[in-house]
Amino acid sequence: MTNSIPEIRDADFLFVTGSNTTEAHPIIAMEMKRAVGRGAKLAVADPRAIWLTEIADWHMQLKPGSDVWLLNAMAHVILEEGLESRDWIEANTENFDSVVETVKRYPPEEAEKVTGVPAETIRQVARAYATTPKAGIYYTLGITEHTTGTDNVYALSNLVLMTGHLGVRSAGMNPLRGQNNVQGANDAGATPVFYPGYQRAEDPAVRDKFSRAWGVEQNPNPGLNLNDMMKAMGDGRLRGLYLMGEDIVISEPNVERVEEALNHMEFVVVQDIFFNESCRWADVVLPAACFAEKDGVFTNSDRRVQRVRKGVEPPGQARADWQILAEVMRRSGLEQPDYQDPGEVYAELASLAPKFGGISYQRLDTEGGLQWPVETPDAPSTEFLHKGGVLRGKGLFQAVEYRPPFESADPEYPLVLSTGRTLYHYNAATQTRRSEGLSQKQPESFVEIHPGNAFKMGVEDGQLVDVVSRRGRVRCRAMVSRQVRRGSIWMPFHFPESKTNYLTTDAGDAVTGTGEYKVCAARIEPVLEDAPRQVFPGSYASARS
Amino acid sequence: MSQNNGHASQSSDGFIVVDGNELSFREGETVLQAAQRAGIEIPTLCYDERLTPAGACRMCLVEVEGSRLMQPSCAYKASPGLVVRTQTPRVERNRQFILSLHLADNVQDRDEAEDNNPSRLHALAEDYGTLGAWPRVERQRQERPEDTNPFIEFRADRCIACSLCTRYCDQVEAVSAITLAGRGAHTTISTADRLSLTDTTCELCGGCIDVCPTGAMTEKQALAYGKPERELEKVRTTCNFCGVGCQLDLNVDRQANRVVKVTSPPPGTTVNDGNLCVKGRFANDFVHHEERLTDPLIRGEDGQLHPATWDEALDRVVQGLQGVAERHGDDALAFISSSRCTGEENYLFQKMARAAFRTQNVHQCAAT
Repeated sequence: MTNSIPEIRDADFLFVTGSNTTEAHPIIAMEMKRAVGRGAKLAVADPRAIWLTEIADWHMQLKPGSDVWLLNAMAHVILEEGLESRDWIEANTENFDSVVETVKRYPPEEAEKVTGVPAETIRQVARAYATTPKAGIYYTLGITEHTTGTDNVYALSNLVLMTGHLGVRSAGMNPLRGQNNVQGANDAGATPVFYPGYQRAEDPAVRDKFSRAWGVEQNPNPGLNLNDMMKAMGDGRLRGLYLMGEDIVISEPNVERVEEALNHMEFVVVQDIFFNESCRWADVVLPAACFAEKDGVFTNSDRRVQRVRKGVEPPGQARADWQILAEVMRRSGLEQPDYQDPGEVYAELASLAPKFGGISYQRLDTEGGLQWPVETPDAPSTEFLHKGGVLRGKGLFQAVEYRPPFESADPEYPLVLSTGRTLYHYNAATQTRRSEGLSQKQPESFVEIHPGNAFKMGVEDGQLVDVVSRRGRVRCRAMVSRQVRRGSIWMPFHFPESKTNYLTTDAGDAVTGTGEYKVCAARIEPVLEDAPRQVFPGSYASARS
Repeated sequence: MSQNNGHASQSSDGFIVVDGNELSFREGETVLQAAQRAGIEIPTLCYDERLTPAGACRMCLVEVEGSRLMQPSCAYKASPGLVVRTQTPRVERNRQFILSLHLADNVQDRDEAEDNNPSRLHALAEDYGTLGAWPRVERQRQERPEDTNPFIEFRADRCIACSLCTRYCDQVEAVSAITLAGRGAHTTISTADRLSLTDTTCELCGGCIDVCPTGAMTEKQALAYGKPERELEKVRTTCNFCGVGCQLDLNVDRQANRVVKVTSPPPGTTVNDGNLCVKGRFANDFVHHEERLTDPLIRGEDGQLHPATWDEALDRVVQGLQGVAERHGDDALAFISSSRCTGEENYLFQKMARAAFRTQNVHQCAAT
């Protein structure tokens, strides 16, 4: 996020796209509700009529995967009506002309045909966004989990750059991180392209720095990203796997292929708090402590480094992950400090990554939380980025053209399946499924289907159905609801006995490798047995049937 | 919260006089807000800075010069030259009167009242005194015994109808699942058709529990556990679910090594401003779940996983990984970490991949 969460309440225009904020980030949604209560305008672009559309001024219910058309059409309107911020573009950006040329080919009237969003709505939202100074964009995986994910992000950032809505309080570009420490894991270098603090692994000088710091010559071969790893497991390039707190058998797209690939692994380590699905392939399983049982830091969506503190002892022999890792390294023969607590590990990280150089446990304990960059011990927390000019020097416009998703609906698979989270469960649900109360509120998986489609297929609310794609077949309950568009269906991915990711495609974004969880072709087959129907009362989707 | 917060300006739109002290205020501020900022304590029961004031509990009445009646400081706007008194006999007598009134319609004994959550009502009665114990008002507020929701218990005998919970539900969570119902001494907290909360628009955030000044809204599970909050130790930490980074307090029973419940830090102090969602507040059963892994496991010759010592398991990990690297090269290994683990753990994990096993094949799970 370029802005901070507390800035949201003071925004005057919110553009929320590809984020079901009330379910995936409920506390950020509270800030949005507060802003709207204050009089801020809210535009939602989402294929589903999510809760936020109840209080939105505009809902652009686009077809899944048509984001680039919609966003380019908004840019088209802004330029056509001269609402761009010329001086700001001049001073802070480059490559503007390429976007001017490209978006000329994306008039709203044509966009209406592709996206299903009325041209007039596109015009109104584009105008309101461009002409409101405190206008913020909020997005999450609905933008990025596409084969065109990077393009979608570029199309959004073009809107930000042409209106100059950056480096201002309550105005910016805000990806909402889906997990407690996605930001922190990236910050710490758990990615093949970066060493800690976003120092590029491809840069020999960076590798030299870490070769010296760790006393081991760094491997110059480029690393594989997660999506590539899954493929490399299948074709024999990978033979050994170490999984820490990740259940690839439920979380990765096209699970059947992942399972097959795991059969070919020679050695697999799983380190987790529960016996997860991946443990079936493990040679060694290591019991870890959960967040309430250890010390450390998480870094949230607005770059806020905050302390995690130990409240209770872990069960049995379980140990904190940091203790296990330090011990594996020691036994592998790597010379390294004898860490007594995570504070010492953080100090090592901070000494090697200038962005966090001024952050220490001592400061976190007295100041509560620090938003990086914080480069020196006396540097303040950074509330929002790009203040007084774009960080990289010049904001780079990136013209993008629409490309259709990897799969489209066809006669055999006439529906478009998107997947996502619900309020009551979380990811692989190893934690939330073990809450009796949450399981009571939402006991099993379901597929949302529009009444028009349901009627034609003879599917009734609460009936068991099979959802089928080119890759697999999954059984769950039908939830007949107008929350989805006609022709679209939606499923959560939290339920191990109904693995949605048997259906999804592992076609990935060309740059990031992120899987296209939001679009795949599917069909629904009613299950013709006498199983009793079961409806889910009190859910927002069921209220929209 | 942060140093370069654009709103933390020192600008002033005038001055009021409170108990003889000249206090600056900003446009739109109430007497209570100006007084609180200056450290002058005015007791409240139904006030919360996140909500529009209701002026319902009458606890915060103060004398305002030129006004015959006392005024609720939570709702009374500051204006230039306003003269306010917060410590006169009349103001103090009103506070004692209000406290007596509420206590007559509540659980009298403080220990009993605080069997789970702390009660601001009883704390204020101790701090400010009462006009004596008044005859007990016969309990008339309707309960919802048929509400089978798993988390939130409403105990009508502790309710003072201050409407903090219903206003929170309307204005902050904005789902309007609960409402004031009935009139006068019958006023209670109810749902549409007295449905169970799980069958309403309620999202089980439990904000009603956190704002309740008397413990009328309370955590079912902690109540069943049977240890009052004041006997638990609060450990401030960061939530382990989504990326908002809510701060929460684990309420820990040290002797039993148990997280009994989760509460939210006060509004205005952390990024979540006193709010939590259903997962952050209630989805903590997993911590002490019987299915937690408690021993290292090694796959034996028989193809099954068997409990082992840490020594055996860690040596096996190193041998196994080094074996693969010897047979197929360092880049035949891949390391996948979790964005749920801490920053330090992710740092050590990539250091392990890059330094101990010499490969760049390391990625965290949230990459896709």
